[in-house]
Amino acid sequence: MKHTGAEILMRSLLQEKVEVIFGYPGGANMPIYDALYFYEKKLRHILVRHEQGAAHAAEGYARVTGKPGVCLVTSGPGATNLVTGIADAMMDSVPIVCVTGQVAAEFLGSDAFQETDVIGVTTPITKWNRQLTHADEIPEAVAKAFYIASHGRPGPVVIDITKNTQFEKAEFNYPKNFYIKKLKTVNKFNNGDIEKAAEIINNAKKPLMLVGHGVLISKAEKEVLKVIEKTGMVAASTLHGLSSIPFDHPLYVGMLGMHGNYSPNKLTNSADVLFAVGMRFDDRVTSKLSEYAPHAKVIHIDIDESEHHKNIHAHVPLVGNVKDVLKKLTPLLKKNNHVNWLNEFKDMDKKELAVEKNKQIKNKNKLTMDVVLSLLSKKTKNEAIIVADVGQNQMFAARYYKYKNPDSYITSGGLGTMGFAVPAAIGAKIGAPKRLVFAVVGDGGIQMTIQEFGTIMQEKLPIKILLLNNEYLGMVRQWQQLFFEKRYSFTHMESPDFIKLARSYNISGEKVVERNKLDSALDKFINFNGPYLLEVKVEKEDNIFPMVATGTSVDEVRLE
Amino acid sequence: MKYTVDIVTENKPGVLYRIAGLLTKRKINIERINAYTVKNNGISKIFFTAEIEDRIVDTLVKQIYKIIEVIEIKYHKVSH
Ligand SMILES: Cc1ncc(C[n+]2csc(CCOP(=O)(O)OP(=O)(O)O)c2C)c(N)n1
Ligand SMILES: [Mg+2]
Repeated sequence: MKHTGAEILMRSLLQEKVEVIFGYPGGANMPIYDALYFYEKKLRHILVRHEQGAAHAAEGYARVTGKPGVCLVTSGPGATNLVTGIADAMMDSVPIVCVTGQVAAEFLGSDAFQETDVIGVTTPITKWNRQLTHADEIPEAVAKAFYIASHGRPGPVVIDITKNTQFEKAEFNYPKNFYIKKLKTVNKFNNGDIEKAAEIINNAKKPLMLVGHGVLISKAEKEVLKVIEKTGMVAASTLHGLSSIPFDHPLYVGMLGMHGNYSPNKLTNSADVLFAVGMRFDDRVTSKLSEYAPHAKVIHIDIDESEHHKNIHAHVPLVGNVKDVLKKLTPLLKKNNHVNWLNEFKDMDKKELAVEKNKQIKNKNKLTMDVVLSLLSKKTKNEAIIVADVGQNQMFAARYYKYKNPDSYITSGGLGTMGFAVPAAIGAKIGAPKRLVFAVVGDGGIQMTIQEFGTIMQEKLPIKILLLNNEYLGMVRQWQQLFFEKRYSFTHMESPDFIKLARSYNISGEKVVERNKLDSALDKFINFNGPYLLEVKVEKEDNIFPMVATGTSVDEVRLE
Repeated sequence: MKYTVDIVTENKPGVLYRIAGLLTKRKINIERINAYTVKNNGISKIFFTAEIEDRIVDTLVKQIYKIIEVIEIKYHKVSH
């Protein structure tokens, strides 16, 4: 029996066990939406308010479930609105499958109404993309899209389906046990390399593990703990590695990078071995490359071969899935401990703590982001999912919430996309309905995707939005203060009454302007049954420290 | 240094565009390029020559190899 292309797409998505689609209709995907009408029970559709929101929601969903998130948008502006989200997913290795409508094949290249060269526009920001002009191409393309998005290093894919294809009829034959050879064999490390790595680790005096997003993607949290506990190796995390090691683990020393903790930045340059596990030596982590870890032998696990030696030369590159590599490696590691080395970190932590204490005394009755996030952490028993936006709020959320369970800190790291948090929190809540989900966002970022309040309203999603309002594009203002002699060029921002705005979307809320109201406001916020906006008027000119300034070495990290 | 890169790929639309994009990203200008399909087995060969910094050539070639359709890739220095 023959089916329309639109119907074939529905069946293909069901074959891939898709449960949720984030989308927005328009002329060029109307036949698909018409088919969706009959699949409403099997395929939950979330109508976003802007296509960028669909992409970030799909990312949020993917980050908590490990399954590809799906977006469905129309041609032209629908597709171009998706672009920021696709680029974001590419930078952060998030599996999303985007289906875009396209003008009918006969009009391709004629500048038809709402025609955009979607393949052209998305090629540099996708792992793979394909335009379909016949209905019988759909099943294999969908199978391929999902396989590619989720195998090897995950990433975004686009399927661009011309309108005639959606109407055209064909048989539905879904490929069975589909695979792509190139992505199937991800483990290319050999035993010799594993032995070399083990020998380096076994002889190390000052070994430091750097955990990244790859640990969470490959669900290798337990394997990581086994390695550090057996060897006594000290471990630090990248922004995206946060929550892979519980905050209170005795060998965990905090976050790396520009706004990471003091000790792991400072002591990177004393380490004799760096064991990089599923991370890519981003410039926000390494800062000045020529002065990065000069004494260290580097062992680098990455599933993506092109990451080895890209920024940092690896003495032992190990190509493979983090979990598989660690399983092979652990038996060869000797039981050891590095108490003195660990104590070097603890001593430095004291310096950071002292500065923090001083700040707290100085700000005793003031509202600052660190206070808000520390309290939120305590009151939620460190168990919530924090979806952070970009800016100071993102860094305070990274540093002051104490992450206990995996996949609990979700943010836009590689692209640094303001506006990520609210829609990504929608996807995260839908993917993990039983967990408490907080969007942490600034007064600037919230206004980039604030229309998604409508989605929250319509879907009645009990998302908690923590707005940290400093009346500034705070992170840029901080740089202006530190590096541009306080010339606050266009970083002050006047904003609407967010509480009223939320209320008009049926989202309850409260605004806190005094420190002594924070506790009770947080309690209400956390326990409220339904969507809620808590706005906290924080200190306007507070800064996030430590900081490794651009162009300086990690060991020049500033405490204040 | 001048390098020639030899690529064997599935003959699918967009592969050349992806390769060109990876070069554009690094502001590399192609000096010579040749591409053709092999018989009728759906395979293409692409060769290009360009000035590429020694420091990045290996990474660039591995990035090209990440293109799903690319089957094989080799590169060598062009001697004068
Ligand atoms: C889409 C986008 N535009 C611009 C920037 C540059 N940028 C980075 S942080 C920041 C300030 C963010 O301000 P706000 O959302 O109020 O957060 P805060 O830093 O004050 O916590 C800006 C403008 C960005 N990251 N993303
Ligand atoms: Mg702000």
